[in-house]
Amino acid sequence: MAPTLFMTRRPVIPGILSAGALVLVLALTGCGGSGDDAAADAGRPVEGGTLVYGVDGEPLDLDPHKSPQDIAALWARPVLDSLVALDARGGLHPWLATSWEVSDDRKTYTFKLRQGVRFSDGTPFDAAAVKANLDHIVDPATKSQMAAGQIKPYQGTEVVDAHTAKVTFSKPHAPFLAAVSTVFFGIQSPAQLKKGPDALARQIVGSGPFVIDKYTPRQGIVYKRNPDYRWGPANAAHTGPAHLERLEFKLLNTDSVRFGALNSGQVDAIASVPPSSLKLLERNPKLKYDKRQAPGGNYNYYPNTTKGPFSDVRVRRAFRDGVDYKTVVGKLYFGAYQAASSPLSPSTLGYDKTTETLWRYDATAAGRLLDEAGWTGRDAEGYRTKDGERLTVHMLSVRTIDREQRGTLAEQIQAEAKKIGFDLQIDRGTVNEYIARFGKGDYDVAAISWQRADADALRNLFDTGSISDGTRLTQNIARYSDKDVDGWLARALDTNDQAARAELYAKVQKKVTEDAAVVPIYTPTYLVGFAKTVGGISWEAQAFPTFYDSWKTGK
Amino acid sequence: MKRRPSARVVRAVLVRLGASVLVLWGAVTASFAALQAVPGEVVDSIVGTNDVTPEVRAQIIAEYGLDRPVLAQYGTFLNRILHGDLGRSYRLDQTVGEAIGSQLAASLRLTTAGIALALLVATVLALLTARRGRRVRALSSGIELVGVSVPGFWAGILLLTVFSFQLGWFPATGGSGPSGLVLPACAIAIPVGALLTQVMREGLERALEQPFVLTARSRGMSDGGVRLRHALRHALLPVVTLAGWLFGALLGGMVVTEQIFSREGIGRLVVGAVESKDLPVVMGVVLVTATLYVLVNIALDLLYLVIDPRLRGAR
Repeated sequence: MAPTLFMTRRPVIPGILSAGALVLVLALTGCGGSGDDAAADAGRPVEGGTLVYGVDGEPLDLDPHKSPQDIAALWARPVLDSLVALDARGGLHPWLATSWEVSDDRKTYTFKLRQGVRFSDGTPFDAAAVKANLDHIVDPATKSQMAAGQIKPYQGTEVVDAHTAKVTFSKPHAPFLAAVSTVFFGIQSPAQLKKGPDALARQIVGSGPFVIDKYTPRQGIVYKRNPDYRWGPANAAHTGPAHLERLEFKLLNTDSVRFGALNSGQVDAIASVPPSSLKLLERNPKLKYDKRQAPGGNYNYYPNTTKGPFSDVRVRRAFRDGVDYKTVVGKLYFGAYQAASSPLSPSTLGYDKTTETLWRYDATAAGRLLDEAGWTGRDAEGYRTKDGERLTVHMLSVRTIDREQRGTLAEQIQAEAKKIGFDLQIDRGTVNEYIARFGKGDYDVAAISWQRADADALRNLFDTGSISDGTRLTQNIARYSDKDVDGWLARALDTNDQAARAELYAKVQKKVTEDAAVVPIYTPTYLVGFAKTVGGISWEAQAFPTFYDSWKTGK
Repeated sequence: MKRRPSARVVRAVLVRLGASVLVLWGAVTASFAALQAVPGEVVDSIVGTNDVTPEVRAQIIAEYGLDRPVLAQYGTFLNRILHGDLGRSYRLDQTVGEAIGSQLAASLRLTTAGIALALLVATVLALLTARRGRRVRALSSGIELVGVSVPGFWAGILLLTVFSFQLGWFPATGGSGPSGLVLPACAIAIPVGALLTQVMREGLERALEQPFVLTARSRGMSDGGVRLRHALRHALLPVVTLAGWLFGALLGGMVVTEQIFSREGIGRLVVGAVESKDLPVVMGVVLVTATLYVLVNIALDLLYLVIDPRLRGAR
């Protein structure tokens, strides 16, 4: 799924994916589900039936070429196929392209396309369709908020013959294959693309296993099976049309309502089981759940390294080491989310496990660090002071689009930070206020999660070039700048040697941990709850569920 | 003599309409100013924090005229409204007219159903409890107090838990179908009904103290007859006024109910629009709800004349 500034699954703030830079092995470790396989209860695949999935958000726009939201990817996936498929372990598989060749300079990608594929409107899929899709993405009129940004050096697509498409870039562009495997580059019918943004916002047409039957904004979407489907991704569990006759996404924003609907059997599966309801779910013999840790940056706090108290590394370390984040996270989320100890999620390719042991919770040591940094005084309320000034840090927050109780989390951290003398002020405002202050670096600390399959996520989070300058909103929230780190990140993009890349990314993770440019909080986890009558829910590489292989038994 | 009152009514309505236009202009201007005051650039709220190319940014700025002075944008906006064009949403790939049009019916259905139910409940309760024994009134007041003060969110969840999740009588989300309308309408009717009951009972009690009640009773009219035929009419006036006000307030403030019951509606549309500084949609909703509010109040003024014939002859 696309990571977003707030990791929201509501349609308010869209996010950025900037898919994995290089497609390598993606180790989805530590992603234990609820235990046994879903298939154990639902038995063998059954043909027909309707699966109703309660979702917690809807996209602003169905066209994933334009929309950057992770929820747009979820909604478009049943309808759109991709040129290549990326599995949960990072392997690439044929899909609409049967094979592909990359030139030595990584500027040219030649795709051999599958023959006999038709869009659901009856038009054929061919090289011209590939060209139409990529051209549509980069067309300014599309107003692509993410996909176009991922292929910035795109020069054009040449239709070599009906089943060969050659894509050229002005400079080497290694992340391309990873990008086209995502729904944001899903292949749409050129005939539908011609109808323009307003039509695409409400109706997309692809060659996928399902076809949109009815879309009602703020209520949900109904898909019906594409009976002619014969071209599933090579890594799918079956071939041919989808098992399900119909697939329905029902919008159930309120956590307790979504869970109540599942618990009472009104829906077959739900997205984002509220952690507080997990115990209830486990007690219901008709239900089970599965989860995937999202790869990429954890949900972390990032101290602003360029101004205020946090420009002093000792103060940053004290803030990280002096608060017992593990206990706060464990209690708030009932153990459903793993507390983080590194900048990256354990399921990210290139995750460096040793960063987990580079620091530990130690309130006494944190106090010593603050003493060293000169924050030796105490005021009447118990906050530390220096030259009569209180140790106050301001954090950006937007309550209205909070998810996963992050507002409550902040309040608990605030209370914990007070114990070591920090006055953590949570500045609540509107999205626009947030964006304005975010762009200027007008804060002491801010928080995001950043989902990407690859450790290149570190480049978004810590590269000097990724500091917002007021016109461009980017993700180096710590406003961290380090020549060594910049160098390692650049070199990691230049090589295909996996071991060498892992080594470079490990160096980056160690350095930013030593510099306390990040305060790890928890690993975002996609929790799907479902009735035991449901089987075959599979996962995209970026940890959202897919339904091509799913089925539902009679009872 | 019969014509004069109706001519007066027509003139009164025209004056009201004229004043309403001023009210609408004020509402639109005030919200335009308020939204301008919110920090952050509009183009940023359209692209969010996304990695857009400079060309796309330029395209957005040009398309929405965001590089023009605020006054010019305001002028264009007013001018378009006069021509019935509410403009185009920044975020929805829709015109504002389409966006509101697709949501308005659902909101109106819910508001109307909620208020109708509340009126029904309030009338029955007030008739049954006005000037009754202490205990009956205490019980009723207690229930009303709970009804008025219970948070909408909680009431909605409670209704769903009992009637949908446990008893299975109604679907958790029914879209716009009648069975899906019952629970959300109840959720609205609880606080509104409680409030209306209080007002209506007070009106009834005051009316029941009037001399004409004694007259009616002395002519041998039954207690029920007195309440229904005479007192109720008097009690209705303040209730109708209040219901009209509530209609406007509810239309704009249904976010919680819409959210819990996953319904379409103006409330969710406007919340999303305010969050993302989607100026045209916010203005459109303000204008449409203000218009509806004005129309409802004119209709209520006419309704007064039906309820209380004495007003027809009045100045």
